Amino acid sequence: MIAYLIAVGIIALIYMLLTIGLNLQYGYTGLINFGVVAFFAIGAYTSALLTLGGWPLVPAFVVAIIVAAIVAYPIGLLSLRLSDDYLAVVTLGFSEVVRLAIQQERWLTHGVQGLPGIPRMFLSLGIGDYAELATLAVLVLCNLAAIGLMLHLVRSPYGRLIQAIRDDEVAVEAIGKDPRRLKVQVFMLGSGLAGLAGAFYAHFITYLSPDQFLPLVTFYVWIAMIIGGTGRTTGAVAGSLILMVFLEGSRFARDWIPSVSEVQMASVRLALVGLALILFTIYRPQGMMGSRR
Amino acid sequence: MTALLAAVGVCKSFDGFKVLDDVSFAVPERGLTGIVGTNGAGKSTLFAVVSGQLDADGGRVSFADADITGLRPMRRARLGLGRTFQVPREFAHLTVRENFLVAARREYGETLGSVFFGWGRVQREERTLRDRADGWIEFLNLKKVTDKPAGTLSGGQKKLLELGRMLMTEPKCILLDEPFAGVNPVLVEEISTRIRELNNSHGIAFVIIEHHLEALKALVQHLYVMDQGRVIADGEAAAVLAEPRVLEAYMGGVI
Repeated sequence: MIAYLIAVGIIALIYMLLTIGLNLQYGYTGLINFGVVAFFAIGAYTSALLTLGGWPLVPAFVVAIIVAAIVAYPIGLLSLRLSDDYLAVVTLGFSEVVRLAIQQERWLTHGVQGLPGIPRMFLSLGIGDYAELATLAVLVLCNLAAIGLMLHLVRSPYGRLIQAIRDDEVAVEAIGKDPRRLKVQVFMLGSGLAGLAGAFYAHFITYLSPDQFLPLVTFYVWIAMIIGGTGRTTGAVAGSLILMVFLEGSRFARDWIPSVSEVQMASVRLALVGLALILFTIYRPQGMMGSRR
Repeated sequence: MTALLAAVGVCKSFDGFKVLDDVSFAVPERGLTGIVGTNGAGKSTLFAVVSGQLDADGGRVSFADADITGLRPMRRARLGLGRTFQVPREFAHLTVRENFLVAARREYGETLGSVFFGWGRVQREERTLRDRADGWIEFLNLKKVTDKPAGTLSGGQKKLLELGRMLMTEPKCILLDEPFAGVNPVLVEEISTRIRELNNSHGIAFVIIEHHLEALKALVQHLYVMDQGRVIADGEAAAVLAEPRVLEAYMGGVI
């Protein structure tokens, strides 16, 4: 049971990194990124391939962040030319392109067979609870650092300007500020965070295949952000924890509804998550922590 | 007399329909200029072209001895040509003070690097700008709403906020699009007074689109009348408004 809770905690913290990144992009800056999973996948595969090639973990993580951020650059530039809703379509399409590329480029990614045997973190602590506890601890630290950075950023003049862009981009230009530069930077920053989350994921799961990177992941992150409260960093924290309670907690719902089979239960779980989202939007549209949007 | 802001032969069509047809106007340094005309005469389109939101199909726009035709709105604002909008575009989720601060000219505090490094420098910059913002907030009588989200202000207060935000950019000239629309008579008087003060003591030129003719007549030195995309008359305000063809076009000859 402890091992299970640690594992759930690790996944929750990985989602938290993703949600904090999306919240920076959408919650604070208004960029509709429906391709979160693409940068998550790029981070995961980058770090996995590098470590399988003999790299140590830490530089592999750093490169994963950088690669995810660099890939975000051209997408960010595109977003300058597109209005909000088109950016949503482009990013969603991009995430599917990334997934299909992973599927097809077998020489690099082993396609649908996947990449097995990705090195775990903290191997020296042996296989088992201690290594995973250490992973959990590092993830907590990374999340705390990300939260601290966000809280600081939002209060800075830089953060004020990105929120102004979210509220009215035309007015931002009218006061002589360049929304383009900041939108690209924010897109890269949030994507770098997704790349970091991907690296953690790769070395925790130790096996990667393209079907782990469906758009569903993106929408889980969106759900976490909305439930928690868009435009609030504490909301991203609360939201990703609540999401995990729903995703994992609904596993145990089968104990109360025994007539449902294991296979059917998977669908019931998704239905429960959907129901939760609907109830949240009706009874608490501003999210758990309140929203500034 | 050299013009601070001038448009020469500006044309703009939407789907073949001429919204601006060879429009020229000039605003002197420290000038107070009004533009009137019926709805659809092309006034707001003219502002959009002059401030860079729309590209003109033909003609030139110059400002402070530079040709600014084709510059992005951001660049024009940096040169000192500001504007407000007919429907206020406040940053709704930022407080009034934040709205002012975000508009301030600054080099360092809005770079990504400043988030990570040089926090002391950012704080010093902030203190100076805060004093300036609070000064304008007081000047515009927005003190009691300083810390309120701008989205919660009344229509008149939003107009003042937009004007104040523009002042933070240290402009030479401000284009005001219907500053008196939907504003109660007391506030109209107050806004007029503020505009006069800014013009007198800060030397800021204003170009004002307005339907409120009485207030405008009392405020501006020079008036342009537009009709169907053309300037049909211009000159000293009271004299222009008395011209028969202006009465004919603008008021359908009823007055």
